[in-house]
Amino acid sequence: MAAVAAPSVFSGGANVVAVGVLLAEFGMFRQALLRDQVRLYAAQSALISVLAVIVAAARHLPELYVLAGLSAALKVVIVPILLRRLLRGTGRDSGEHGWTDIAGSGALSLASTVLLAIAVAAFGFFSVGALAIRSPVLPVTALAISVSVALVAFVLMIIRRDVASQAIGFFSLENAISLTALVVAAGLPFILEVAFLFDLLVVVVVFGLLIRVHHGRAESLSTADLTSLRG
Amino acid sequence: MLVVIVALLVVPAAAALICLRAPAAAAQAVTAASGVACFGLVLALVPAASRRDLNYLSYLRVDAISVVFLLATGFLYACVAVYCVGYLARARSDPGFSAHSRRFYAGLNLFAWAMLAAPMMSSLALLWVAVEVTTVISALLIAIEDTDGAAEAAWKYVLIASAGLGLALLATVFAYYAGAQVLGQSYNLDFGPLLQVSGQLPHTPVRLAFGLAVLGFGTKMGLVPVHTWLPDAHSEAPTPVSALLSGSLLAVSFYAILRYYQVATAALGPRFPRDVLLVFGVASLLLAALYLLEQRDVKRMLAYSSIEHMGILAIGVSFGAPIALAGVLLHVLAHAAAKGNAFMGAGVIVTKFATKRISQVSGGLDLLPWSGPLFLLSVLALGAMPPFGIFRSEFEIVAGGLASGGNIASAILIVLVTLAFLGLVATTNRMLLMPRAAQVPEPKESVQ
Amino acid sequence: MSLVLPIPIIQFLQAATIMGAAPGISGVIARVEARLQGRAGPRVLQPYYDLAKLFRKEALAPQGASWVFLAAPLAAMTCYLTVPLLIPVLTTFGLPLGYMGDILGGGFILSLASFVVAMAALETGSPYAQMGASRAKTFGAITEPVVLFVVFVVALITGTDLPYALAATVRSSAGQIVRPAHLLAAAALFMVILYETGRIPVETHTGTNEFGMIEEARPFEHSGPYFALLKWGSAMKQLILYTILLNVFVAPWGLAATASAVAVALAIVALLAKATGLGIVVAVIDNSFAKLRLFKITEFAAAAFLLAVLGVFTLYLGGG
Repeated sequence: MAAVAAPSVFSGGANVVAVGVLLAEFGMFRQALLRDQVRLYAAQSALISVLAVIVAAARHLPELYVLAGLSAALKVVIVPILLRRLLRGTGRDSGEHGWTDIAGSGALSLASTVLLAIAVAAFGFFSVGALAIRSPVLPVTALAISVSVALVAFVLMIIRRDVASQAIGFFSLENAISLTALVVAAGLPFILEVAFLFDLLVVVVVFGLLIRVHHGRAESLSTADLTSLRG
Repeated sequence: MLVVIVALLVVPAAAALICLRAPAAAAQAVTAASGVACFGLVLALVPAASRRDLNYLSYLRVDAISVVFLLATGFLYACVAVYCVGYLARARSDPGFSAHSRRFYAGLNLFAWAMLAAPMMSSLALLWVAVEVTTVISALLIAIEDTDGAAEAAWKYVLIASAGLGLALLATVFAYYAGAQVLGQSYNLDFGPLLQVSGQLPHTPVRLAFGLAVLGFGTKMGLVPVHTWLPDAHSEAPTPVSALLSGSLLAVSFYAILRYYQVATAALGPRFPRDVLLVFGVASLLLAALYLLEQRDVKRMLAYSSIEHMGILAIGVSFGAPIALAGVLLHVLAHAAAKGNAFMGAGVIVTKFATKRISQVSGGLDLLPWSGPLFLLSVLALGAMPPFGIFRSEFEIVAGGLASGGNIASAILIVLVTLAFLGLVATTNRMLLMPRAAQVPEPKESVQ
Repeated sequence: MSLVLPIPIIQFLQAATIMGAAPGISGVIARVEARLQGRAGPRVLQPYYDLAKLFRKEALAPQGASWVFLAAPLAAMTCYLTVPLLIPVLTTFGLPLGYMGDILGGGFILSLASFVVAMAALETGSPYAQMGASRAKTFGAITEPVVLFVVFVVALITGTDLPYALAATVRSSAGQIVRPAHLLAAAALFMVILYETGRIPVETHTGTNEFGMIEEARPFEHSGPYFALLKWGSAMKQLILYTILLNVFVAPWGLAATASAVAVALAIVALLAKATGLGIVVAVIDNSFAKLRLFKITEFAAAAFLLAVLGVFTLYLGGG
């Protein structure tokens, strides 16, 4: 069997950061507190900003610095603060630290979920490998990882049975797609990227409001009762 | 024409801002005026746009296809804005009415603004942003109704539709990648240039982009199997919002798919895009026709009828013949009118009988001398009876199908449309034509 | 003038270093852990004194136990003396006996040792020993695939599965260290080592928390010299696993490139220093986390499996 050639330090480093994003996504399966779930999302967004800075430095794309800073400010700072404000008081023992316990809200046990997600991520890896899409700025492994993160985000939204995890699953899906955009569409005009970020802000507000509506009616963040509309 | 386009963007947004502050009666009047004005502006746009493509300010573009969808949205916006006057009046005595109606009108105007902006965007990226904005605004409008069903429907809708739009964003990214190979790295996803160079685009990203776009925007359009939010959202929303959702929003999502279809057909040839649309179209039509046979809720029935018609649109595009495509565009307009009318009639029925359940509604024609016959006519229109527009558009679609050799698909289309007609007419018969039974609760007197 | 050691001496030194230093490493970890907790702690050489004491004691066997019970500690010790011959302990070049088995072979021999000890524990009829043995084998079934995938990563990177080859590859360029497959495989192997050596978060190494014991419960019924051999054996397993992680994945520097006595002596010192460093890391982890409840160990193993599988995936597309 032939050995796999060593990548350059840049490729290796970039791939490691991308793998970190994927591991953060897997980590979201396990979180028991809403606060930890949001922090993991902030960490994932920070990793993506770091990768954008690495790409900007190595490939001489100065616009990416600004974009990385903007998306870090939005996704690492503003979105967690917004979510905290909007979801204040949805905890069981709500008070100053009304961070809800969302533990054990999965349809499958954690180990089974991880195995399922590994299978889904494998599908993502191998299907991207079969496509002939080569990125000018990052190695193809990063594209495969970003598609896998998107697929695992879908698994997260399906498996976890509380609205907060589902919302954060959607935000991490958006993270995965911005990672894909970083790999494949690094030259996208700045104004369009800003439009995407602004749109994310609006979406976060709306999701937060709808979670409040849900909590107001159901007194919990669980989706177990959302079964009345059928047929 | 630039003035008209800019006015189309400014008027609904300004109306929304005014409605946030003004008293209820003023908000009502402003919304109605805005709706009628926008419809007038779109009509003014029709002659110019049908002759040539209009490109302004490098981010606005109106061509003949956009104007069809603008017409659908503009017409329904005008009708719904006027309908709201009577619809919200029944709750006038509730506490918090003025705040509720202000929010409602502001949301309605914003919703119409986003739906009017989407077909006018020249960049595929901004088109995606506009569709995403329509999703979140309509989710809030659904949740404005204070019932358990509305809360559940709103959450399901926003989650599933946003996830689908996530896939559509992935499609946009791959479309950029394909375009950047030919047009350079600073390509801004402008549709016109992309269509011009589509012969040189690499095949794999375009195929990926089209597949993801159909799946992603198809989630918003109501294509099976990603339609699961639609019956809940359209039936639990307030009636004016349901009318706009079914008549205009599904059409705007279809508009996005049509743009990707244009690029894909030019780049890959007709085979692959048409096969994809045919599969989704037939699945939607089949499922909707089957579900229509056993509906218990009048607004849910109309929602499944929307799925059916979206399936017909997809099948029509997949036939590819010019007459089929003409039928598709006519179908968008005719469906918007008929579905809007049907939902508004259903709203009156629900208000009159205080229930959405079909089994508890009977004797409608006797008790609703104006709304009853109008609702009957709109259901017949949805069932493709002549002389309504849907009859002609479906006729053209089938003719196109037979002309392009899709005999089996045309046959399936006719059979399933007949099945859907059966479902629609059976329930309408139950509601309107059967005489009133004695033990059913008395309906409200004030509604005609 | 430098003394050149004959190869057989170096081979012997490999096994001897592991055998001699293993209890010391355990002692260092215990001491550091105690210090972190604010206690004075036992002396670093305490395990040696414990072993000496145990060798002087009487050996008892349960009624009904057969020769397996008495042979198991000896068999395990033999395995633990064989494995150091296969892995790069002191030298960068492969020694003749090192080609007896590759990394898979080493893994098998370690599993054989664990199996033999489990059989002996099952023989005893004591509930704690049997419980520990069955738990160890059950969780072992979940962690073995992780080791296999780590071996796959090694094989995909170097084209062979000789540990010497991977060590040479890692030393060859900075790109080899930073690549995600290498980091993921090292992380997965570290998690397996935490399981195999019975540290937090899998079980508490000290103390007798019977309901949480996995590895620690198996030598419950042995006594005297047999118990000493089992304790020594498990300390040797710990040092062997540390050596594999350090000299193959994480820090393959400081090994002797020639057969000179000075280089080999320096290699021994480097190995002990690196193992002590890793031991301190393990002690810090011991004091930072809580023990996982038994049914959550599957989550721990699933996480290790995830890391190993991702390592293989990133390599699959080339350049990972």
